[in-house]
Amino acid sequence: MTDKTFNGFARPDGSVGIRNKVLVIAVDECADGVVRNIAKGFDDVVVLTNWYTCMLGGNEETFHQMIEVGRNPNVAAVLVVAMGCGSILPEQIAAPIGCEGKPTATLSIDKAGGSRNAIREGREKLAPLVTYRNNLVRQPFPVSRLVVGVKCGGSDTSSGMTSNPTAGAAVDKLIAMGATAIGGELFELQGTEPVLDKRAVTPEVAKKIRRRIDEENRRWGVPGAEVETMSIGNCVGGLTTIEEKSLGALHKTGEQPIQDLLTIGPDGVDKPTVPGFYLSDVTMLCGGAGVNFAALGAHLILWTTASAGFNNAIVPVIRISGCKELINPDIDIDATGLVDGTATLDAVSDQTVKKALRVGSGEPTAVEDVADSTMTLYQKDRRLESLLGHTCPK
Amino acid sequence: MRRFTKMHDDDDVATAMESVEKGAEAAVFDKGGQMLQDITVLEPIPHGNKIALRDIPAGQPIRKYGEVIGESTSPISAGRLVHVHNVRSLKLDVPDSIRREIIRQMNIDTTTEGRA
Repeated sequence: MTDKTFNGFARPDGSVGIRNKVLVIAVDECADGVVRNIAKGFDDVVVLTNWYTCMLGGNEETFHQMIEVGRNPNVAAVLVVAMGCGSILPEQIAAPIGCEGKPTATLSIDKAGGSRNAIREGREKLAPLVTYRNNLVRQPFPVSRLVVGVKCGGSDTSSGMTSNPTAGAAVDKLIAMGATAIGGELFELQGTEPVLDKRAVTPEVAKKIRRRIDEENRRWGVPGAEVETMSIGNCVGGLTTIEEKSLGALHKTGEQPIQDLLTIGPDGVDKPTVPGFYLSDVTMLCGGAGVNFAALGAHLILWTTASAGFNNAIVPVIRISGCKELINPDIDIDATGLVDGTATLDAVSDQTVKKALRVGSGEPTAVEDVADSTMTLYQKDRRLESLLGHTCPK
Repeated sequence: MRRFTKMHDDDDVATAMESVEKGAEAAVFDKGGQMLQDITVLEPIPHGNKIALRDIPAGQPIRKYGEVIGESTSPISAGRLVHVHNVRSLKLDVPDSIRREIIRQMNIDTTTEGRA
């Protein structure tokens, strides 16, 4: 590892992973217990359960996300398990994951002869995937191979002034080195459209961003069930308008051109096509955002906060705080020096970039393996989308 | 020395990095930490809140991060608090009842607004 490289795992499809996980997917919620028993005792095995419904109709966004999380470069191999009575076949998930050489296996609990037999058979199928994974070794790759998500959660007044500018400057530096970064949380970008218009690489991308922000506003602003945008606490903390709050949030995305808005939807999950910065459908909801980023192919997440947060079992989360009152040992990057002028934005963002490369080479984040969130498979409700007249355009 | 941060060259406001009392010795710094100017603080500016860097007439766009965050609803003198009592959103404004509650909780002096 140098200033411009990290040590990762080469995958058969040509991608590079910074973690070396084996994923076990339960395509039906009822298979969760069996899957957890299959995974029990194996190191670095992550469970992803479709908790929503075993039916495919209306569940396409979750279906595609299960595939794309399996294809994430931080995943070395995948076992897909189904009960056997649902409408999603394990082969439908495993085939696209494995088509470029990633080892996969499938299991039907019905066909295995019930839960206990399935657990025994599942462990027999998982063991060689784990052995395959354990034999992979890290090798150096340029930073340009990294895909970094950027998100906030548990923000406070300090975020717009310290942690968000730090993440933004780090994102700009990573992109200058050829890397790719992805933001989301479109609901929290309302009011920043004039800035986004200028950053979009084409008028078409600008139009797409405006349309998606508008859709997200309608999704969360259904009369009678509106989600609040500005709290009294926000205002007492010093935020005067929604524009100010959103601009502070946008700050964490840096200043580089926006190449496109990556869709996570019923027709599939977009991937970055050229290096640079992207917006996306990644939700503002924290646990779901981790899985969204995994589905987009992100390696790690830069997360701005006061003190709150978590890790994602597939995509490590590097947390940045500039809140003197709440910062704690869970935080990876201390940006509180920006408050009293004892640190500069240039220095703290440099630390963030270096941390990203070290995490890329295997260094654990502050709470990795200690405080993983649920692998929440968030999806936009197709019934609501239909009622709102959203066409989920590609 | 109390610190305010001005996020962009074009900004009309700077943000208090810690609570600043009226009359405190204070200076404005840019995002990179370079000192830009001294400033006279005409009323308490709580941590995270904004101070006017120049005299702003009513009905003017207010810039932070180099972008418009709202519009002044009354004249604001340099050194005064810039907040919900003298700025409104151009997008989705805070309801009046909430505005009154914020002013009450923060004990913002609205009576002298517009006078230096």
